[in-house]
Amino acid sequence: MFYLTRMLGKPVVDAAGETIGAISDVAIATREVFPRVTSLAFLGPEKTPFMLSWRKFVAEIDDEQVTLNVTRDALRFSYLQPDEILLHRDLLNQQIVDTQGMKVVRVNDLKISESRHQLRLLGAEVGTRGILRGLHPTVERMAERIAKIFGAELSETIIAWNYMDLLDRDLSHVQLSVTHKRLHELHPADIADVLEQLSPAQRAKVFEHLDNTQAADTISELEDAFQADVIDDLGSQRASDILEIMDPDDAADVIGDLPYDKAEALLRLMGVEESSAIRGLLGYREKTAGGIMTPEVTTVTEEMTVQQVIEHLRGEAAENESIYYIYVTDSDSRLEGVISLRDLVVSEPGTLIADIVTKDVITADVEDDQEDVAEMMSKYDLLAMPVVDETGKLLGIVTVDDALDVLEEESAEDLELATGHRSRAGITGIWRWVSRNGWLVVWLLLALVVAATIPALLALLLAATIVLRIAEDVASHALSRVIEEEDEGEITPLWRRITGDALAGSGLGLLVGMVTGAIVWLAQGTETFAFQAGGDSAVVRMEVAVAVGLVYALSVLSVSLAGTMVARIAEGVASRGRRVSGTAITVILMIAGAVAFTGFTYLALAFVAAQGIFG
Amino acid sequence: MTPKTEKRTRTGIFALLAVIGPGVIAASAGNDSGGISTYSVAGAKYGYTMLWMMLAMTPSFVIVQEMAGRMGAVTGKGFAALIRERFGVRPTFLAMLMLLASNAATTIAEFAGIAAAMELFGVSRYISVPIAAIVVWLLVVRGSYRNVEKVLLALSLVFISYIVAAFLAKPDWGVVATSFVVPKIIPTQAFIALAIGLTGTTIAPWMQFLVQSNIVDKGTTVKEWALARWDVIVGAIAANVIACFIIITTATVLHPAGIEVTGAGQAASALAPLAGRYAEALFAIGLLSASVLAAAVLPLTASYAICEAFGWESGLDRSWSEAPLFNGLYTFVILSGAAVILIPGLNLIAIMLVSQVVNGMLLPFLLIFMMIIVNDRKIMGRHVNGRINNVLSWTTIVVVITLTVLLLGMTLLGIG
Repeated sequence: MFYLTRMLGKPVVDAAGETIGAISDVAIATREVFPRVTSLAFLGPEKTPFMLSWRKFVAEIDDEQVTLNVTRDALRFSYLQPDEILLHRDLLNQQIVDTQGMKVVRVNDLKISESRHQLRLLGAEVGTRGILRGLHPTVERMAERIAKIFGAELSETIIAWNYMDLLDRDLSHVQLSVTHKRLHELHPADIADVLEQLSPAQRAKVFEHLDNTQAADTISELEDAFQADVIDDLGSQRASDILEIMDPDDAADVIGDLPYDKAEALLRLMGVEESSAIRGLLGYREKTAGGIMTPEVTTVTEEMTVQQVIEHLRGEAAENESIYYIYVTDSDSRLEGVISLRDLVVSEPGTLIADIVTKDVITADVEDDQEDVAEMMSKYDLLAMPVVDETGKLLGIVTVDDALDVLEEESAEDLELATGHRSRAGITGIWRWVSRNGWLVVWLLLALVVAATIPALLALLLAATIVLRIAEDVASHALSRVIEEEDEGEITPLWRRITGDALAGSGLGLLVGMVTGAIVWLAQGTETFAFQAGGDSAVVRMEVAVAVGLVYALSVLSVSLAGTMVARIAEGVASRGRRVSGTAITVILMIAGAVAFTGFTYLALAFVAAQGIFG
Repeated sequence: MTPKTEKRTRTGIFALLAVIGPGVIAASAGNDSGGISTYSVAGAKYGYTMLWMMLAMTPSFVIVQEMAGRMGAVTGKGFAALIRERFGVRPTFLAMLMLLASNAATTIAEFAGIAAAMELFGVSRYISVPIAAIVVWLLVVRGSYRNVEKVLLALSLVFISYIVAAFLAKPDWGVVATSFVVPKIIPTQAFIALAIGLTGTTIAPWMQFLVQSNIVDKGTTVKEWALARWDVIVGAIAANVIACFIIITTATVLHPAGIEVTGAGQAASALAPLAGRYAEALFAIGLLSASVLAAAVLPLTASYAICEAFGWESGLDRSWSEAPLFNGLYTFVILSGAAVILIPGLNLIAIMLVSQVVNGMLLPFLLIFMMIIVNDRKIMGRHVNGRINNVLSWTTIVVVITLTVLLLGMTLLGIG
């Protein structure tokens, strides 16, 4: 048994017993499962590299040296062949993909066996033992002995050539055995697992080898956090081609996470049908039935026969994500009933749909929490669940794969919150917001502590960050609205928009204002508080608290109203076919937030001064 | 809607804004407790004397950060991975040992910073440090430090107030300007140790790992690097400008009064011209947030780099059984860093200083690795170093090694 790290640097001796160089590398033939060593590379005098055929010139190899079968003059040097790879240059110390264990690992050593004068690569050693041997063989032996004392064995982790894919060297032009498994030949879910362990640059290289369908499947399987990154790194044309192939609900998820400019560019590159399906979905709130549904539904009418429906399925509906249920709708596309694929298959071709339809359909409302939808599907063992709006109009279906993702996601979230002992039923909108933006709350508290201990103007600068952060949120909200509205051309009347946003804005503002006010009110009771009010009267304390609370509440409200206006202007710009800069919108709203906050603070200070509180 | 190709590339300020981030963040994280204390001590003890070093060091710092970023953009790999692939197991082991030492020492300094800041608020270190250790560990484990990052960064920006404080303290700007250009060395052990510390905190070894991995994670390509390098360069310069103002402020306020910085209280009092009786609170808030941020980032940087070098599984979404070494490493660095501070009777400022001297001594050796890689055409292609880069970097390496040898020699012979 040989290890590459022990072979490197050993002398190469010719038939006359003269040392002509030191081993620097060995090459293998790539087509075999346990590849033969085909060439020997060594450094001659003055570090000149040489390479020669193993079969022709090597007589013997042992732990100390390589002996050649001719003298130096009789050697014929060769070059690296296209189907050879070098163990030291291409494998040792490099990252490889273990396509059996679906892991990205680093090669610590290469294990080579000898049988009948033929060296063969057994595999790459990727375990800690290889590192220890690389440090020094004595270290390896010592570790082995220590392990023995504890009754453990220092095992090797070997990956056969067959299950290796290289990351830095492209194996596409090298002949491999039919059983050789490369990364892009794996199941998309496995490819996704491996991709998550790679850096963006390496990921991009892998994507070069995937065709668009594979790429679409793989992206759907990636964790949410990676999806947008991967799409963002691909070229615009390819990215939009891939998104077109993906199920619209998955594509909408990815696009929703992209920066506005990029999202808009990709949607514009797509076919009209696909892009409007995705834009339609972007309008629904995240984590609701609308957010996870797909608009690809197979619908039929009661007057059709079984035969007609089956033909419809073979024809235009064949591309749909799920065809296990066929939904029956009236002329206004209101949901009337459902038939299953089974009902269709077991019925006579001439049967009217009206005769076999089940009228009692379990449906989800588009605003329902995604977790409730998933639980209902699991309770009733449904493969898909129709989603309707308040008028009963069928909007789409939630398919079982998305429901499973939701259950998995939510159980992970629940696990995190398990210590918090949270009852699920009572989570209202505000708490949902608080739990999603927990850090903001912490920052709020922190900023107030700061505000309480240092001079007012400095506190102003620090605390304004909260408003800026909210402005950032409002901006992204406004942008997603531009994307979704641009599709239809029907723009919600401005006054309705403003009242809606004013309501939401004052809700959020009130919450922030009340929290800040309450803290300020409490803090004034303590000695360290810098805004020591002139008197101790509860009225004065209350006034200061209300003033601070109002500043926050009004700033938040102003930012959300500014968001409405900016979104409206942006829609106007976009509808004239001009591009809107997402960065510009964010910057504008942040400035608006800062100005509003500073303005209101000065007003409040003036008010407080006029009251003579700080006398 | 007609499909059209993306012809317009973004230009100007927005294009720059889009790439800004990693460099500025890495550089501002560099002004942590170790940095603040070293600069304060330098100013208080030696007045403006050390300012010329800051000027001399700025180009080196900029160049080193730029090299690290360039390696990341060209190769798409972290510094640790490149060391491993270029040099093999043994040198990598050495490099990782140095990184771990530099990191652990600095983490200790961060906990010293937390303890000092909380003591200014009247909280005993025996209460604040264990709580901080748990909070930092949770921030790292839950991955939530990314959310808090912006907040802590914003708060640690209070150190910008040193610029205002420096002007309010009314230094003799003529003297300040002269000190920037006239080199002066005081041949004592303390001075040389401080000079090494000043280098170590300005060009901290872990910052190169951090800036490179940030560039890699962002997926910055060689093309984008032309712009992204400005982020790294501007960040490095900005960090050093603040550092200079810390020295100017402390030199103007504390040095003439003969106040030596032996505790956070004295360091804070340099801000008195600006914040009056709130100087301590201002200083403490900045110190606390900078320290917490760095205490979360540092152990994680070490953990990622070491696992990257040895091919161990890493990532915050991996469980203890999946990635025992990754989770074990940062947990060990955090807990041992906090534990050191709990040793009774420690001088916190001294701890912060010593950690930076350790950083300074390790710096040249990691820079040598960097220089070999960044000049290797097989790795960097045509993006190898230019001559100015090489001359400045090797000068830095030689100077710091000389200083270290000088310090060791003086200590052994008992000179100074």
